[in-house]
Amino acid sequence: MKKVYVALGALLLAVTGFALAQTQKVTKDADLGLSKTSVFSDPTPEPFDYNDAFPGTGKVLPRAYPGAPPQVPHNIEAFQPVTSANNACLGCHDKPNTIGKKEAKTLPPIPLSHYSQVKAKGGKPERKLSGARFVCTQCHVPQAKVEPLVGNNF
Amino acid sequence: MGITRRDFLKNSVAAATAATVGIPLGRFAQAASQKLEQGWRWDKGVCRFCGVGCGIMIATKNGKIVATKGDPKSPVNRGLNCIKGYYNGKILYANDRLTRPLLRMKDGKFDKKGEFVTVSWQQAFDEMARQFKRAYAELGPAGVAIFGSGQYTIQEGYAAAKLMKAGFRSNNIDPNARHCMASAVAGFIQTFGIDEPAGNYDDIEQTDTIIAWGANMAEMHPILWSRVADRRLSAKHVKIVNLSTFHNMTSNIADIEIIIRPQTDLAIQNYIAREIIKRNVVNWNFVNKHCVFATGPYDIGYGLRGTDKFANPAEKDIEAKELQIELDKYEAVAQGKKSGDIVKQRSRAGAGGHWLISYDDFKKAVEPYTLDFVAELAKGDPDESLQQFQAKLKQLADLYIAADRKVVSFWTMGFNQHQRGTWVNEQVYMNHLLLGKQSQPGNGAFSLTGQPSACGTAREVGTFAHRLPADMVVDNPQHREICEKAWKLPAKTLNPKIGSHITKIMRDLEDRSVKWAWVQVCNPFQCTANANHWIKAAREMDNFIVVSDAYPGISAKVADLILPSAMIFEKWGGYGNAERRTQLWREQVPPPGEARSDVWQVLEFSKRFKLKEVWGEGPLPGLLADGFEDGKLPNVLAVAQQMGYSPDDTLYDVLFATPANKKFKWPDPVAKGYDNHTVAALGEDWFVEKALFEEYAQFGRGHMHDLADFDVYLRDDVRGLKWPVVKGKETHWRFNEKYDPYVKKGSGFDFYGPAAKSLPSGNLGGITSKSRKSLAGRAKIFFRPYAAPVEVPDANYNLWLITGRVLEHWHSGTMTRRVEELHRAMPTALLYMNPEDAKSRGLRPKDVAWIESRRGKIKAVVETAGRNSMPRGAIFVPWFDEGVFINRVTLDATCPISKQTDFKKCAVKVFKA
Repeated sequence: MKKVYVALGALLLAVTGFALAQTQKVTKDADLGLSKTSVFSDPTPEPFDYNDAFPGTGKVLPRAYPGAPPQVPHNIEAFQPVTSANNACLGCHDKPNTIGKKEAKTLPPIPLSHYSQVKAKGGKPERKLSGARFVCTQCHVPQAKVEPLVGNNF
Repeated sequence: MGITRRDFLKNSVAAATAATVGIPLGRFAQAASQKLEQGWRWDKGVCRFCGVGCGIMIATKNGKIVATKGDPKSPVNRGLNCIKGYYNGKILYANDRLTRPLLRMKDGKFDKKGEFVTVSWQQAFDEMARQFKRAYAELGPAGVAIFGSGQYTIQEGYAAAKLMKAGFRSNNIDPNARHCMASAVAGFIQTFGIDEPAGNYDDIEQTDTIIAWGANMAEMHPILWSRVADRRLSAKHVKIVNLSTFHNMTSNIADIEIIIRPQTDLAIQNYIAREIIKRNVVNWNFVNKHCVFATGPYDIGYGLRGTDKFANPAEKDIEAKELQIELDKYEAVAQGKKSGDIVKQRSRAGAGGHWLISYDDFKKAVEPYTLDFVAELAKGDPDESLQQFQAKLKQLADLYIAADRKVVSFWTMGFNQHQRGTWVNEQVYMNHLLLGKQSQPGNGAFSLTGQPSACGTAREVGTFAHRLPADMVVDNPQHREICEKAWKLPAKTLNPKIGSHITKIMRDLEDRSVKWAWVQVCNPFQCTANANHWIKAAREMDNFIVVSDAYPGISAKVADLILPSAMIFEKWGGYGNAERRTQLWREQVPPPGEARSDVWQVLEFSKRFKLKEVWGEGPLPGLLADGFEDGKLPNVLAVAQQMGYSPDDTLYDVLFATPANKKFKWPDPVAKGYDNHTVAALGEDWFVEKALFEEYAQFGRGHMHDLADFDVYLRDDVRGLKWPVVKGKETHWRFNEKYDPYVKKGSGFDFYGPAAKSLPSGNLGGITSKSRKSLAGRAKIFFRPYAAPVEVPDANYNLWLITGRVLEHWHSGTMTRRVEELHRAMPTALLYMNPEDAKSRGLRPKDVAWIESRRGKIKAVVETAGRNSMPRGAIFVPWFDEGVFINRVTLDATCPISKQTDFKKCAVKVFKA
């Protein structure tokens, strides 16, 4: 089986190699890169808006791959900045007791990996959000309503 | 299948994240993740982006990366990643990867005015070598140059530096890291005699106080910041101070935010020193035993050309200040002179010279830096009261001085990209040394770095115009001799004249003194200040620019030849991070199409040069060195023949495929079945990356820079090691007897760095006794005065412009802007400005405005809210966006000692487009 693939690959390479040698691709420098302009021109950038969905109304966005951090599907301008005194994200998402429960489907709770177990004096162990995970926007970012600059086949 | 795709995802994510903290998984989730990960192979790697050096795990399947995650075993990031870090895999797969060489052609031939045509590697190298030989014949070794990188792997940097310095006998190789941490290097060498930080990241958990000086760590070093946040939130007594020229995300976790006027950090440091003396808390036990006092000249210029021959009419007034300035009232007080005095910049050529001074002189020098004087000068927010600002400066001094507090100072580009960058680096050591709070767990001045291997490659390997491996320099005859012996070169092969720094290479292209340049692992035509000059020089002068890259950016657009490069996990490599941690990885996947590693490109190019073409007599304008004829490099071919070389040997034979290197055989069990396209494409049976690493490592072993063996770094139980690695043990804190094997027994502390450790003596005015004193084992406490920036806002250009990075994008955005999640998070570079400044210019958020300086103008979208808030009088524009090409506006002034550009201050005007 492997041999067949190798032979096929070699054939494909030979054919495309031949084709490429026949038709050399010509590209203008202005057409290269993300801004399709000459380096001497004065492009005008477009203003953009972040997703304006109200919390709870945004649709869960697809992740780039299993393990990629989820993006924020709603507007967060009113909840910024995350400061040591005030982290507005926690108001809705700091709900470890809802993990795996029905309500988690509509309001995703912060996963267990973000918590450490702390033993309260004489009481039951409590979950405490890890300080290293406190600044939510280091990983979870809102998305603007713009198109990708170029496709990606990851 | 039994489980839905959604469950698949959820369970796999749970597995990935749970693994980071060792939370046991339910049986169902475990089974699911095993099923999803069927056929995945995980291996360790290093993040491609900033200088923190997070460990990542990479999953591959069928020759493609399918996932990455933070490495739970990495002591740096402990399983975490920042938003960029999660896309280490995806950056490889955008649709416009360069996969074939492209040459500008017309009618089947190279033509500077032609359009890009796909060519074979053979054609590409043929034209590249022909053009090289033309420039080399006309101008000699100084007529060619390489733009290198702090993102070079160790092996790439070593191969490029060896080819340039030993092969072509040219010192014109300089990395973009010059823009990033050259001032830090000069500060280390002048203060300690050896490069790189004493401490490590564990300082964060050990300290009580973190002071960020011009370091927006929350965005630029996010994972270190997560450790800082964790420390701050879990220990109530911990205090964090953020000194910055504007409010940024780092302030959000800080206890005190101090907004300063650009360049006044010089004055604030001297205020702290004055307080230490006034409060009688100098740690004399430490200072007497381990330190000396020193200073240098003040009249050192601003790193501009010194001639206005190439300046536009609008640039001429600032260019003239390179030769003489008129002192403003603050600079006059700070330097003990009169306001309005004209000061000729006489020490431009000897900017780095320095001499010993007495403690009394030092004390006299800091005396003018009173709280009143410094607060009036340094207050950066016109809407803050002087009283409140004074109170904050006092709190800052209190935190440094408190006897029961450990203090770590972090800094990055705010200090390093600075017209007095070397000085301000030295000043932070000044205060830590005066207090004896240095080189101890939780106590120390800690220079962070921007790029993933600015330390490991650019600095340690020595890809700078003045450096050789392991802190050696080209203008030291003993260092050249050591390298000539190790590299088996005839004596006097190495060029003793320091080459052009990266900004000077651009100037050399403009004035035709360099006619051939090769860009490797960087995007210098986007990242160099005052870019209008350089893009014009590239396109309109008689020169040949080669750009090796994975994706086309501005540099590719101005190139004559574009070579497609393999990206990080498509090749074997190694990086060294900001805490001296060296980390190696295996080639995970093959590069696409005809893309090849930079090591392969350098080695393949070296095959096209015979010794007789490069080791004959060569012109070298301006060469003046002992043992050399003025203006020329000697012919070393006769000696080469005595050594057994033939004039027809190629540089590949002599420099790379040496008998010693060929002993490292490929395949090698350390590969564990992973591939090596570099070796395959060369058609060799020796392990190129391992041989180059081991050859390089010999320079540092036994010389304070010891690396472990190549194979050790690839072991499953190793997550990088902090050099010096002596007898298998890494070094956690340098210069401290408890941790550092190089410290003299019984000394407690030993600042053993050997550079610049014999000095003349003098006073604040200059040298008074030329007889040199040895200061072996000691660090220098420098006095450095406040100096005003060369360009300040005036009635016409009435705003400060500050540039920098953002969390979501890496450098010039060529990788991260091709990831839609990151692009959507930060689609374009915004013009952050104060709402009042916007209003008075008739601007509203989302308006497009012109930003104009003496050097050029561009357009950007106005933002008056968001993550940064600007004081009146200052704007911030990130540089990641090639469509908002801010370096057409910035000023190419540098620190005259380190030659690092100041991207943090110039004068602009803003108006509606």
